[in-house]
Amino acid sequence: MKAGGKILLVDDDPDFLEMHKAVLRNHGYEVLTAMSGQEGLERVRAEMPDLIILDLMMEKHDAGFSFSKTLKTDPLFKRIPILMVTSVAEATGYRFSLEEDGYWMKTDDFLDKPVLPAVLLDRVRRLLEKKDENP
Amino acid sequence: MSTPARILVVDDELGIREGCRRVLAEEGYAIELAEDGMVGLAKVQEKPYDLILVDLMMPGIGGLDLIQRIHELDPEIILVVITGYAAIETAVEATKRGAYEYLPKPFTPEALSVLVKRGIEKRDLRLEARRLYQEREQRLLELAGEKSRLRSIIGCMADGVLVTNLEHQLVLWNASAVRMLELIGTDEPGKAIGHYLRDPALVDSLERIMNAKDEGFSMITQEIRTADPSSVLMAQMAPVRDEQGRVLGAVAVLRDITKLKEIDKVKSQFVSMVAHELRAPLAAIEGWLEVVLSGEAGGSEEQNRAWLLRAKERADSLLALVQDLLEINKIEAGKVAQKMESVQLTDVLAKIIEFFRPEAGRHRVSLRMKPSVAPPAVQADVRDMEKLFTNLISNAIKYNVENGSVTVETSQDAHFVGVHIRDTGVGISSADLPRIFEDFFRAETKKRDKVSGTGLGLTIAKKIVDSHLGRIEVESRVGQGSTFSVYLPYNK
Repeated sequence: MKAGGKILLVDDDPDFLEMHKAVLRNHGYEVLTAMSGQEGLERVRAEMPDLIILDLMMEKHDAGFSFSKTLKTDPLFKRIPILMVTSVAEATGYRFSLEEDGYWMKTDDFLDKPVLPAVLLDRVRRLLEKKDENP
Repeated sequence: MSTPARILVVDDELGIREGCRRVLAEEGYAIELAEDGMVGLAKVQEKPYDLILVDLMMPGIGGLDLIQRIHELDPEIILVVITGYAAIETAVEATKRGAYEYLPKPFTPEALSVLVKRGIEKRDLRLEARRLYQEREQRLLELAGEKSRLRSIIGCMADGVLVTNLEHQLVLWNASAVRMLELIGTDEPGKAIGHYLRDPALVDSLERIMNAKDEGFSMITQEIRTADPSSVLMAQMAPVRDEQGRVLGAVAVLRDITKLKEIDKVKSQFVSMVAHELRAPLAAIEGWLEVVLSGEAGGSEEQNRAWLLRAKERADSLLALVQDLLEINKIEAGKVAQKMESVQLTDVLAKIIEFFRPEAGRHRVSLRMKPSVAPPAVQADVRDMEKLFTNLISNAIKYNVENGSVTVETSQDAHFVGVHIRDTGVGISSADLPRIFEDFFRAETKKRDKVSGTGLGLTIAKKIVDSHLGRIEVESRVGQGSTFSVYLPYNK
């Protein structure tokens, strides 16, 4: 099951970078990593990934938002799907939903940390398929 | 009547005196006699009488004068005039001066006894009337006293009190209510409540409570925001009822809960921060376990073991975090948990430096105590001191550079013993410097992600220093290192 595709992981927690990288690599994806929003943007520009998996809470609390906003307003990159992975929802007692928050958060899907490997793989596959259907 | 009525007969004629005595003694009265005005007046001044028979024509003080003077002494004494020179003019004059009745001589025993009987009845009525009047006066006085006591009690309450009547008019309030609600125009009482309150919303809710005319017990508690957006009031409102349960008005008691609200907010912020800090390592542990258990990462046995070790590291850091939270809790509990004793800081420091020597070696950092004269002992909790300097020295090692150094030095001035921990490490930027003692704050450095830490070490250090009435200072330059100085007071 060689799925293929280049995925950029942006997270300031090295454990999550490494565990997601291990799971995705094992399923045939090429994986890039970045530990800050700034580094992430540089890697997007240099490598043009097929999908980005983004942690909401990075160095600053809104770093995830400004990262996705920057990309989604750039014609060159706005078609790259962004999967938001976060532990913020339960900590604040606030739940995100795509219907209500997707527009201003400019991301394509949400998952709560920790993400089950099977769920992560499933979402990644679906987002990449959707992207391929609407080139 | 339990005691017989006391009657005094004042007449210069012995026959009249004895005659009266005989007639009235038979009727059961207590009789005394006086042969002229002077003797009579002296007797009246000495003790009370209920009725006095006075002859008008006497040597010395005349009857009219005597009547006037007795009447002035006690206006309730029944004065009966007896005289042989019965004339309308004297009768009128005597009545003007306080006489009750007029008995012309000669008189029959029956006439005397009827008149005295009537006089005594009159006397009883007068006394009863006086008693009732005094009682009423006393009640009124008590009532006024009660009202003023109530006002004094309400006046010195820290809680605000407002009372309105059925017409929603403000009838009672205190200074706290004026201050909290910024009441205006209270020098003109008796107007509708809306006249005094600036906030129409508050008027509405107060009137709503006053209109709650249900029969049962009702009480409404609600938070009220005033013109000052930073303050929050808690209002308890209830109808005021009479003995029959009819609503007479309403009372509102206001409490300023601004401080409680602030504490609440700080507490929930802290809880949410702690929850997030606990969740991050837990999620990482869970994530690693999932990766290994699901086999989705397809790792070898060796690789799986390495991942489980990563989970264990996060579990260790989680444990350290919980430990630090308990530590903070202990310090904030204050004196209850602290055991103050005389502590020689150089001993504590020497012990900690020995403990850290192997770790300093692993980091290739030289760790030494600069020799100096031993400073005076301080009053402190030894465990707190160990925790404080462990945190500071551990940071100095962890955030150091290869071949760097950590130097510990003591000093003293007139009031404080100083401990200075100097490192040659990464330093702290001037932007981060003011925040380093905040809960969970970790300065942005290239080393941070490689160094484990809870973000509570300096919080704990500061809390320990504060609880010992000392102070902590830090000087730092990025790339050159930091010096943390702790000053603790000592007794000379």
